[in-house]
Amino acid sequence: MFDDRSPIYRQIADRIKADVLSGVLKADEQVMSTNQYASYYRINPATAAKAFQQLVDEQVLYKKRGIGMFVSTRARDMLRAQGRESFFGEVVDPMVAEARAIGIPLAEVIRRIEQHENNGGV
Amino acid sequence: MRVDVQGLTVRYGEVTAVDDMSFSLSGNKIYGLLGRNGSGKTSLMSTLAGYRKPSGSVQLDGAPVFENAAAMRQVCLVRHSADAADKGDKVSYVLEYGAAWRDTWDNAYALELVDLFKIDLKTKVGALSLGQRSALGVVIGLASRSPLTMLDEAHLGMDTPTRYAFYDALLNDFMEHPRTIVISTHLIEELASLLEEVLIIDSGRLVLQEEADVLRSRGTEVTGNVSDVDEFTAALTVLSEKSLGSTKAAMLYGALDYDQLIRARQLGLELGPIALQDLFVHLTEPVGGKR
Amino acid sequence: MKIFRHLITSIAVFCVLVAAGAFAFAVVTTFVVSAFRDVEISAWNVVASQVARWFLFWVGIYLIHNLLPIAVAHGRTRREFLAGASAFSVVLAFVMGLLGWLGFLVEGGIYSLMDWRADEHGSSVAYFLMFLVWCAVGMFCAAAFDRFGAGGIFSIPIALSLVAVTTTGIPGSGKLPFVPDLPVLLGSGWHLVSVAAFLVALAGTWAIARDMPVRLRTT
Repeated sequence: MFDDRSPIYRQIADRIKADVLSGVLKADEQVMSTNQYASYYRINPATAAKAFQQLVDEQVLYKKRGIGMFVSTRARDMLRAQGRESFFGEVVDPMVAEARAIGIPLAEVIRRIEQHENNGGV
Repeated sequence: MRVDVQGLTVRYGEVTAVDDMSFSLSGNKIYGLLGRNGSGKTSLMSTLAGYRKPSGSVQLDGAPVFENAAAMRQVCLVRHSADAADKGDKVSYVLEYGAAWRDTWDNAYALELVDLFKIDLKTKVGALSLGQRSALGVVIGLASRSPLTMLDEAHLGMDTPTRYAFYDALLNDFMEHPRTIVISTHLIEELASLLEEVLIIDSGRLVLQEEADVLRSRGTEVTGNVSDVDEFTAALTVLSEKSLGSTKAAMLYGALDYDQLIRARQLGLELGPIALQDLFVHLTEPVGGKR
Repeated sequence: MKIFRHLITSIAVFCVLVAAGAFAFAVVTTFVVSAFRDVEISAWNVVASQVARWFLFWVGIYLIHNLLPIAVAHGRTRREFLAGASAFSVVLAFVMGLLGWLGFLVEGGIYSLMDWRADEHGSSVAYFLMFLVWCAVGMFCAAAFDRFGAGGIFSIPIALSLVAVTTTGIPGSGKLPFVPDLPVLLGSGWHLVSVAAFLVALAGTWAIARDMPVRLRTT
């Protein structure tokens, strides 16, 4: 469910994006209607509508009049590109900082990453 | 339904329950009226429902509500002890009043809700448990289908499954029949996700009126060294502070701008969100509040 | 109109049933008494002149104390409710007066059959007016106490003087203090005084209740 510590519409949008990235939601697949979503997750329909509107604005979703909302064909590629852009800033940099703080040499971190590469865990 | 309140004051003898309050609700949303016990929630809603004569102005869609038959038809307020019911009356009789006296009443829906909440139609209101009486209030409020429906502490005494059934019924009926719904409560956590807009009142005054999702982004918790936190928060609105050893955490109200975010990073401060419930607690805390 | 109709279908029907029950009780009691001693008074007159007015008084209280808040909670104005309740009080008093008359008729038949003696009773109009005033006074007192709490006590002396005028025309229900002969002197013109008493009680009810707050009922 959604927590009460950040705007719910942003949490909804993030969750749908995550579903698109992981492939749970596929290209041109219909997503739940605003009301279904609101009812399922017990949230205000206006909040759900705001999240969906944001996703339409970001071209993750597109509207078909009178039918509903669907995942854009290129949504996954787009989100992956965005993810790649922010990956170093949001994931790698804090990891390096954490490693430094607890005294793990970076060489050791790199070695661990190389192990993943060799195990074929792409 | 649009609601306009201007300079509203409610007094009981020496006690001022609502103190020169003004606000507008644009309508067709679910509003949360949040306030501590005795903050004036019930008095405010009683005036909105024409239960008492306002000093100041209370208008529904531009028309004064008190003793105005056309406006009164559009309003339903259920206070936690159901006003629309006598303790000696059977539940079925209570519903008959609704059907007889309300033009907008949906009796089929009322019976559906009574069934959902497992209220026995033959039981007298006085013999219902507090939770069931609250549920009966919800039945009256929702089945009235009033363009302005107000539920005052409607969840009182309900057990958890019943509360969730109430939230689901409220949400689904609101989506099918959009109208202005005002819910008062001091228990925010469960209800918060249902609300589109929030009004916080304290000691009879309006503290703030804001979209719930905007409010969720308003609070920030800053954690770090005592001296760094003090420096950072010097010119900001601090709702509360607590410290442990050389670490200090402060709750801030208001969005931080870009420069402030940079400065926080330079000082090595940790920034985190605040839950709506905490924000509410600190916004309505008496001056010189507790730790 | 909705309020009036609902009051008629729910409360008036209830009142008629109560009256029917009271009549049956009065007849049975008379037969029981006749086994031990001679019957010399009309049992139905005891009901009609002593008990019924208190019942109508209670109905008046119920209207304002119990039903007015429910009406407001269901989106009706006080004015609408008071209009409905005022009209209802007239109809109810009339119906009860009619039942009183019917009761005397039937009882008279039984008495002559059994060769019992009945004392005299008042005119149907007198009963109707007594019921009317007592009901309106009930509304008046309920409004005063609901609105002013203990301060509503001021309504009691007013209520006493209003109801006193209605009982004088009815044998066995009380005489006016100080001027017991006044009603006799005025004849049926005295009914006008009862009508005036009803109007005063009603006006008082309206004045107090038309902008009365709906109290929070404690559970």
